[in-house]
Amino acid sequence: MTELLQQVVDGFGRGGIYALIALGIAVIFGVMHLVNFAHGELITVSAYAAYGLFAAGWDWWLIAPAIVLIAGLTSVAIEFVAFRWVRGAPDFTMLMTSFGVHFLVQAAFVMYVSANFRQFPRPGWIFQTWRVGGVSLEVFDLLVILFTLLTLAATYWVLQRTMFGMSLRAAAEDFDAARLMGIRSDRIIRGAFALSGLLAGVAAVFWLMRSGQAGPSAGLSPMLKGVLAALIGGLGSLTGAVMGGVILGMAEVLLISRLPEGLVGLTDGIVFLLIALLFVFRPQGLVTVRRAERV
Amino acid sequence: MPRRVVDRLVLPLAGSLTTYLVLVGGGTVYAAIGNSASDGLVTQMLINAVVVLGMQIYIGNTGVLSFGHIGFGAIAGYAFAICAISPERKAAQIPNAPFGLAEVDLTPLQSSLVAALIAVVVAFVIGLGLARSGARSGAVAATVITLALLFVVHEVARNWIDLTRGGKAGLSFSPLSGVTLQGRGWIYLALLLALVAARLFKETRYGRLAQAAREDDLAARSMGVHPALQQMIALLLSVFVVSIGATLRVFELGSINPRLFFFKYTLLTLTMLIVGGRNSVVGALVGVVIITTGSELTRYLAGPSVDLPLLGWVLRSGLTDVFLGASMLGFMIFRPNGVLGDWEPDHWIARRSDRKSTEKQPELPPVDDSRPDGFLRVTDVVVDFGGFRALDGVSLTASSNEVVGLIGPNGAGKTTLLNTITSLVTPSAGSIRLDQDVLDGLPSHLIARAGIVRTFQNLRLFPALSVQENIEVARLAAAGHTGGRWQPDVELLVRASGLTELRHRRASELDYGNARRLELARAAAAAPRYLLLDEPTSGMGDLESEQMIHRIREVAGLVQAGVLVVDHDLNFITGICDRVYVLDQGKVIAVGTPDEVSQNLVVQAAYLGGPIGPSR
Repeated sequence: MTELLQQVVDGFGRGGIYALIALGIAVIFGVMHLVNFAHGELITVSAYAAYGLFAAGWDWWLIAPAIVLIAGLTSVAIEFVAFRWVRGAPDFTMLMTSFGVHFLVQAAFVMYVSANFRQFPRPGWIFQTWRVGGVSLEVFDLLVILFTLLTLAATYWVLQRTMFGMSLRAAAEDFDAARLMGIRSDRIIRGAFALSGLLAGVAAVFWLMRSGQAGPSAGLSPMLKGVLAALIGGLGSLTGAVMGGVILGMAEVLLISRLPEGLVGLTDGIVFLLIALLFVFRPQGLVTVRRAERV
Repeated sequence: MPRRVVDRLVLPLAGSLTTYLVLVGGGTVYAAIGNSASDGLVTQMLINAVVVLGMQIYIGNTGVLSFGHIGFGAIAGYAFAICAISPERKAAQIPNAPFGLAEVDLTPLQSSLVAALIAVVVAFVIGLGLARSGARSGAVAATVITLALLFVVHEVARNWIDLTRGGKAGLSFSPLSGVTLQGRGWIYLALLLALVAARLFKETRYGRLAQAAREDDLAARSMGVHPALQQMIALLLSVFVVSIGATLRVFELGSINPRLFFFKYTLLTLTMLIVGGRNSVVGALVGVVIITTGSELTRYLAGPSVDLPLLGWVLRSGLTDVFLGASMLGFMIFRPNGVLGDWEPDHWIARRSDRKSTEKQPELPPVDDSRPDGFLRVTDVVVDFGGFRALDGVSLTASSNEVVGLIGPNGAGKTTLLNTITSLVTPSAGSIRLDQDVLDGLPSHLIARAGIVRTFQNLRLFPALSVQENIEVARLAAAGHTGGRWQPDVELLVRASGLTELRHRRASELDYGNARRLELARAAAAAPRYLLLDEPTSGMGDLESEQMIHRIREVAGLVQAGVLVVDHDLNFITGICDRVYVLDQGKVIAVGTPDEVSQNLVVQAAYLGGPIGPSR
């Protein structure tokens, strides 16, 4: 029982980060029908920002908000440079464009920084644990859960209560109709990228607190997790994305604790395999979004 | 020689051979005037060309973005190395190889074929999964599944030390690494076969139908094409070619490690494919040349021998990868179809010879109005969208000898009824029968094979295919499922639709009226017993829609099909229909000849919003 409880807490800790990344991917998919395989680059950029700011003598308390801001701005910049041009393009083109951004950013970091990973200090206190009735609670997991909930609440408020949020939901529902109603597509798409970037920024803070390193491929793993979570959640659905993140986190924790010793190194591969199997049988994800194609 | 054989076999072969000679000749000349490094570069380029041609067969024809092909390459590469490395060398590297593989001793050629077959078997399993996931152009699930394959193969290669010797050392043929083990003869042969296979596959029935599904999955299904079979065949052939390329690569390098077939090589080969034009076989080769040249150029510029004062910030190591990423991104943004689009050299010859031959054309046969008796019967169909009842117990009968109209105000449920008959929408009650056969629950492509073929309100042509190819594909699909019995005359259909002049244009270049006529002709070529036409005159002027009356009658007569037509234009409906059903708010409110219906007060009220007369 305690073991299960422990795993649930751990799973939420992991899944919270995935949920934030997945939500960002789902927001962009909603307005543009783009599955953003370049979403991880926001975390790569954040990682190098963290590294740079540490070198400049900043502390985590200042670095964290700075990272969120930088991720948001980077997201808007990437939209401006790349995705703006392929709006409404066939799915193949958009997929390939996002991979293009992914490879280009990665190559640019190799060229201008280094192919090697750079370390920066992780805040030691977040790995302290409290023991409550046999369950050890890591400060980090609690922080992730707390901030994930806060961020989700804020996102929910933005989506439900602000003009921007309502336009965004309308655009996600039916982009053309929303445009005809006078919603400015430019602004909505840019806003969606900003929102998605900020979400990735929050996720990046926690991801980096744990990994403590910056490298050209730092964003690959979080990107894959985010895309998988968003796909589990049915891509278009925002709630689905959050649920997908949590499910993925739980699945990983359960797998790690149950896999035989020799296979733990293969966890990522096995998770990937399981999810590929899921898509074989439910390509629309676990959460089904009604998306009737007009004919 | 018959024209079709020339067009689809002789010319493509001639085009491929020309391309081959240019490529190999160019490579030989370059290798001859250069040093030993340029010799190795040419060899690598030719091997990459084999791999990229293999990828073109799948990605080009189906439009599914696969990241897994290099994963298949890794499987083949390892299988090849394990079979071909001599037992003595294996004893030193992988003494504990499972399944007695340490003893295996095959020649390189045998190993290569075994390796390719193993990869093809894996591809078959993956292909089943892709089909199950509903793979189609741009489908994300398919991309993720193939990406998973790439990752999983990589992980296994790194961790299954007994078999692969792990990630650090890898397997090698000789204690000295970097020794070239072969001449270029096999590479030349493999390249020639890969080129011919890729080019001819495009012209086969499977290739054509896969391309149609790539252009518009739904439209292909509604003509009776289920893309899974075509995609599977494309995948197997494609993986076979990629695998042969991969084994050549391993043999050329004399060693293999997990990084050899992972992201970097995927990026390189995909960029080559996309830059040249993924839909074109020659384009794939052009991409290989452009990217190889570009990579070498950037490597040289970033190297120590070049020193330009102002450009120091660009000319540094790593430039080659930036060049690859930028090429991929740049082409997607500015020229998503690559340098060549779907152009092949033989198209040029075909088009030129076509211009010369303006031979006499046969007269259209007189319209034959007698058709086999039959009926299409819709009984009490109910369709709910959430809480909204779109169709509320609609019944309708159309016989194969008549043109039946379906009219009604916007939102009355006309298109929903067509969608229900063609199984794009699932009814919550009711039944649909064609003669004695119950069609309920059949998927769209089987409905089409049963003989119900439709057009779409918002036009769904295969945009990248030419006018003639659009029709040809429908005929091919029909020839498949009618067992070759039914062969409508594409030539006659082109002429009956008034598209003779435009036959080599791409469908995407047609104006609205011609596009509508093409959709009609395409539907007719798919062996219909009933044509379901959704607003065939929308967007047309009065004169054009008047002409459309004759065209529809003529085309339906040619293929002897009954017609069920939805439209708003009352003149058109009155002009073409024998009988008219009027729908309003999901119910049939009137049936009769066009005259009867237009006199009906209920209909007038529904259309004009006037007071409902005492007749109700």
